[in-house]
Amino acid sequence: MPTIGAMLGDVVHSLFIRPATEYYPFIRKSDPERLRGKLIWNPEKCSGCQLCVKDCPSEALELVVLDKATKRFVMLYHADRCTYCAQCVESCRLKCLEMSNAQWELASLKKDPFANYYGREGDVQNVLARATQKSTESTDRD
Amino acid sequence: MSEETTSNAKKFIVPIGPQHPALKEPGHFEFTVDGEIVTGAAVRLGYVHRGIEKGCEQNTWVQDLYLLERVCGICSHSHATAYVLGVEKLAKVIVPPRAQAIRTLFLELERVHSHLLWLGVAAHEGGYDTLFMYSWRDRETVMDILENLSGNRVNYSANLLGGVKYDVDQKQSDEIRKGIDFLEERTKYYLNVVTTDETFLGRTRHVGQMTLEQAQALDAIGPTARASGLQRDVRVDAPYAAYTDFPIKLVTANGGDLEARFIVRINELFESYRIIRAILDNLPEGELTARMPRRIPEGEAISRVEAPRGELFYFLKSNGSDKPERVKVRTPSLCNWASVTHLAVGHVLADMPMMLAGIDPCFSCNDRSVTIRKEGDSQAWTWEELRRYGIEYYK
Amino acid sequence: MNLPIPPVIALLLFPGGIFLLGYGMIYEFVDRKLVARFQNRIGPRWFQPLADWVKLLAKEEIIPDGVNAGLFLALPVVALAGALTAALYAPVAGWIPSFSFRGDLVVTLYLLSMMTLCIGLAGANTLDRFSIVGATRALTQLFSYEAPFLLAILGPAIAAGSWQISDINAYAHSNLWMIVYQPIGFLVALIGLMGKLELPPFDAPEAETEIVSGALTEYSGRGLALFKIGRNVELVVGLTLIAAFYLGGLANPLEFILKTLALLLLTAGLQSLFARLRIDQTVGLWWRIGAIVALVQLLAILAGQALQAVL
Repeated sequence: MPTIGAMLGDVVHSLFIRPATEYYPFIRKSDPERLRGKLIWNPEKCSGCQLCVKDCPSEALELVVLDKATKRFVMLYHADRCTYCAQCVESCRLKCLEMSNAQWELASLKKDPFANYYGREGDVQNVLARATQKSTESTDRD
Repeated sequence: MSEETTSNAKKFIVPIGPQHPALKEPGHFEFTVDGEIVTGAAVRLGYVHRGIEKGCEQNTWVQDLYLLERVCGICSHSHATAYVLGVEKLAKVIVPPRAQAIRTLFLELERVHSHLLWLGVAAHEGGYDTLFMYSWRDRETVMDILENLSGNRVNYSANLLGGVKYDVDQKQSDEIRKGIDFLEERTKYYLNVVTTDETFLGRTRHVGQMTLEQAQALDAIGPTARASGLQRDVRVDAPYAAYTDFPIKLVTANGGDLEARFIVRINELFESYRIIRAILDNLPEGELTARMPRRIPEGEAISRVEAPRGELFYFLKSNGSDKPERVKVRTPSLCNWASVTHLAVGHVLADMPMMLAGIDPCFSCNDRSVTIRKEGDSQAWTWEELRRYGIEYYK
Repeated sequence: MNLPIPPVIALLLFPGGIFLLGYGMIYEFVDRKLVARFQNRIGPRWFQPLADWVKLLAKEEIIPDGVNAGLFLALPVVALAGALTAALYAPVAGWIPSFSFRGDLVVTLYLLSMMTLCIGLAGANTLDRFSIVGATRALTQLFSYEAPFLLAILGPAIAAGSWQISDINAYAHSNLWMIVYQPIGFLVALIGLMGKLELPPFDAPEAETEIVSGALTEYSGRGLALFKIGRNVELVVGLTLIAAFYLGGLANPLEFILKTLALLLLTAGLQSLFARLRIDQTVGLWWRIGAIVALVQLLAILAGQALQAVL
């Protein structure tokens, strides 16, 4: 039966209930358990097979090999290239990778926070020093 | 359009797009109007061509899954499922039934999400902002369900070559049921609104009327065709994934106008709720993935999937290596444009956005590059030629 | 309120002029907030219309090719001037109108229509197809709702026996509220006001999803700001007139605020209930139902008066 103003009940009811809008960022909901946020790598279990590097659709992972025999690696993770698909998490047979469900507000004003170096403490500094040395060498050459 | 029209009648062309508030994505429509009555229509697409099919040939099979998922945001899981079914056909791998059932669960949840989104957008095109806001508020329920299941609201990335990534446990199953119960009540309310509100019926009744013969001649697919009485649904004609165990009842309507399209899509929502509950009740036990080789054996495969907009068609060709030789995608919206341009004549200009919204266009899915050449005239294009052609085309 | 205010102050500061511009912005905020709450969302904050206005004034005004530049720049000013002048004769803010003469009801109604005429001219001025379609629709809508709206405003005038707004105001204040024995006229007047202001469901002239922004598509910067302010002022003046006639007259500022807010609540509710009517449906609705209903109401008033004279 045709009526005029079929949504009248809802419309009047809405005056008396709270709006449905979320007041983010002042009030936050709890993060869902399976949310796919930033990638976290555990260097202890890694065997250096590089399946994660091969399977990444956007070349967001690079493995720097410091010493293959003693399994010392440093992983460079580009958070700005990552598509958060979690294929690397599935590809790793030893379960070294997981996606955090708390760190997902990754916006930044500069490019630097996006290049994440994961690894043991001394290894990461080693790689970073090498990287800055290479860049100063190339600027010297110019 | 004849050239010997009376010289007094001026050709007045109203362009809708590529930038227009009616379109959510760019596309160009030229409506020739006489006062307010439309006398001709022309379509021009191709503004969102991203070269995905070519990009697929540079990536491995595993990486392509994520590239093809992003052809479209609303039907992303349908694209991923069609690709994965095709690759599994090529590799002759049998996927465990639990994985197929979870894939079907995601497919139906995506259908719910897509139809609720469409309901809001179509209401907005008709100026009915209240229905738009309420249906999108209720869509948040299904987005939350999908986020709890897979971790992302859009582009769920739930598929793997050989199975699925995510399992459904008891807590999630209860949440899904609660969400679906709430949505079912709201959907009944929306069906009531859409079929009884006088002002809205004035915008949708007898607009874009397409008879059964016209639907067959114009080759419409998806809910647009089913609203004219055409019985065409891939889930019923050629069941895939778990649709053999959980069969679908075909939903059709007889009006053929916009109101019938609303009714068909809302009734499809009820069917989806029923299937989701059936899957949750009878989820088969088993593993989630099957072992899949890295190099897919040579061959060609076709897979068809019922996306929320119609039949999605994938053609995959492998040459034995770990990169595909050819991936061809034919999306459903491409088949429905003819119905808009053919039926637009005789309607008022104000009906045009409603008719466009009625076929549920997804422009990003659409853009492929097709050149039709005569027999014996073959040409290979280099990258530079392609790029130059693209720039010239839009001048 | 009967305190006389010097005409210059009334024109520039209060109750017309700056006060009216500010008050119009407040009412725009209330309208948007109410519509948002009806749609179960938050809505803008209190300073949103002011922020919009300041932003628009700060933007560059682009004059498109092929228009008559003088007309293009002058039309928004004329529209705003018409709306502000109409406020001089209406009991805005509950104060007695500063200028009052016999027959000023007719003048006010014509001044209120000036805005629509300016929009129609502005749309016809440009070469843009959307603007031309929008202008055509605006003028078509003007022809359709104007007659019933005038008849509905005429009802209280006949009952009060005068064409002067302050007289009708005083009559309405001292008698039973006219909404009680002229309910149909009230409805026609309120819905006619929504048509005049191009509020949904009568926003076909500026249908966002069909013709971008209708007649105002090519306007930006200062011109657009003046048109928007003019619309807000018309909203206040229109609500004042209807509240004064049908809701028992406005004698002091408190009555003014309460009664116009009640009408605004009703208007916001009507805005969110309906889908947009096509232009042919609008014309059909007004000429078939609106005009006949308004005529019936008018005949009922005349019959009532004849009966009173007999008794």
